[in-house]
Amino acid sequence: MKLFAQLLQNKKAMTGLVILTVIILVAIFAPLLTEYSPVKRVGRPHQAPSWDHWMGTTRLGHDVFSRLVHGARVSLAVGFGAGLLITLIGTVLGIIAGYKGGVVDEVINFFTNMVLVVPNLPLLLVLAAFIGQASPLVIAIILGLTSWAWGVRVTRSETLSIRQRDFVKSAEMLGEPGWRIMLFEIFPNLISIVGINFIGSVIFAVITEATLEFLGLGDPNTVSWGIMLYNAQNAAALAVGAWWDILAPCFALAFLGLGLALINFAIDEIANPRLRTGGMLNRWTRMVRLGEGKL
Amino acid sequence: MAFLLRRLAFYLAAFLVAATINFFLPRLMPGDPIQIMFASAGSELSLENLNALKLTFGFIDAPLHEQYFAYLQSVFTGDLGRSIKYFPLPVTELLGRALVWTVGLMGIATVIAFTLGSLLGVFAAWRRGRLIDSVISLTAIFSSSVPAVVVSLIMLFVFGYTLGWFPNGYAADPLIDPAWNWEYISSVLYHGTLPMVTLVFVLMGGFAVTMRNNMINLLGEDYIVMARAKGLSDNNVMLWYAARNALLPTVSSLAIAIGTVLGGSLVTEVVFNYPGLGNTLYQAIIARDYPVIQGQLLIMTAAMLISNFVVDLSYVLLDPRLKKA
Repeated sequence: MKLFAQLLQNKKAMTGLVILTVIILVAIFAPLLTEYSPVKRVGRPHQAPSWDHWMGTTRLGHDVFSRLVHGARVSLAVGFGAGLLITLIGTVLGIIAGYKGGVVDEVINFFTNMVLVVPNLPLLLVLAAFIGQASPLVIAIILGLTSWAWGVRVTRSETLSIRQRDFVKSAEMLGEPGWRIMLFEIFPNLISIVGINFIGSVIFAVITEATLEFLGLGDPNTVSWGIMLYNAQNAAALAVGAWWDILAPCFALAFLGLGLALINFAIDEIANPRLRTGGMLNRWTRMVRLGEGKL
Repeated sequence: MAFLLRRLAFYLAAFLVAATINFFLPRLMPGDPIQIMFASAGSELSLENLNALKLTFGFIDAPLHEQYFAYLQSVFTGDLGRSIKYFPLPVTELLGRALVWTVGLMGIATVIAFTLGSLLGVFAAWRRGRLIDSVISLTAIFSSSVPAVVVSLIMLFVFGYTLGWFPNGYAADPLIDPAWNWEYISSVLYHGTLPMVTLVFVLMGGFAVTMRNNMINLLGEDYIVMARAKGLSDNNVMLWYAARNALLPTVSSLAIAIGTVLGGSLVTEVVFNYPGLGNTLYQAIIARDYPVIQGQLLIMTAAMLISNFVVDLSYVLLDPRLKKA
């Protein structure tokens, strides 16, 4: 909770949290924000933005705004679902490898390095191609199962340094079981790394889901930002001048990505005091300059 | 030397994993693997050709492990089968033609993005907390969090369709014959500019953030204080004392980033209709041309392993401690 309180004092984190909250609220209240169904033909094809259709219509006469706000649900769900799965696997394996050491560590480390060098997107493309039209749930699961390697690497190296500290040694002396040490002694000290891993994984999952769907590996009946891009590209939206069809999901994705990245950068600053530049540090330097602080 | 040999053995094992995934994936899917892989080929290919194709992928009348070794044999002898869409054309040739464009585009973009990103990171760290740091950091955060497909589409919309400064697709003007003359080369450069700028923008941010954070961690070290105390110029300390040492972790992040680079270039090529691997793959996905889709995983894994090895080599050069080990 200390981390959260610190986040609220960080300008970048606040901006990021506001962006994220707006998108989450839009996703939750999507049906109240628009009178149109996201899957029904509600207007003539490729109409420019107007009072009736704030963001115009697609080639099939769907309302772009309605698809955008409903699509936010899928992007967020896949992002956070896959992000959670990636972080869970990465953290558990990372802590076990770092704490247990020996053969366990070597096996986990070997597989992690292996997964790191097999390029992720091409692998996902092959998987998705064999699955056929992958629903958002399937995409989230395969993302979760293939993208945990980076998390293991960072968590492991941090665990390696923490297990040398005195409080871990003393817990061992007291005879605490291994799982307790890992869960209650080591894990709380990894919270910022886990946070960075989680937010980073959410960004990765959102981007990758959109990319896979854009490339035509998603289920075309889903209402999501990636499928919106796919349909717009197939309708040659840019070539026929229907820019609203493509730019709407583009800006939505950029907005969500930016919000998450700001939070991530802020967690990094909080976890690593040397990186801190604004706020507290500035105030402190000013105090030192004015001769009020002591150096 | 031992370090490099160990890495080589590891890369071989990693390549084997990619090949194994390719082998088992169609067999793990519900339904008949031969049906899945060659469904679209049935009507177009003669039985003889189809059988030859099946053989390449280890679909022989034998137990699973013999099928596996048959498949590995074709992979390690460089036979990745033939494309179903462009039938007699071998996958290696189809992907090889495309690879030239991708490596050119990606290689140059990575070098520019790495140099530019690292330099920006160095300046941001040196002037941390000032305006230039905020500007660079925010740009970097933005560039590293926005999907490549979004940047590509916006670039294409603004500079391709709206302003009309750059062409909307292809690697060169299709009316000019490919040749080593200025007319063709300038056309290639002109067509490559937008995808290149897109990739540089997408990649730069990650490098800048890594470099900035590494630098800031180093700036508190004693030898930096020492260098300043000696009265060395700011630029000297910044570049030859701080940046030089901060570069090492950045280079190892480069190895991991190559995967992202590949992914980003895939999408960028599709948006700009650029004849590289990404676009070839996209066409293959639409046609469900499985031999091509599987072949690209192997070729991209190989590309990734080779670039990782190059990074390993440069690591040995940059870090004298590894030479002795």
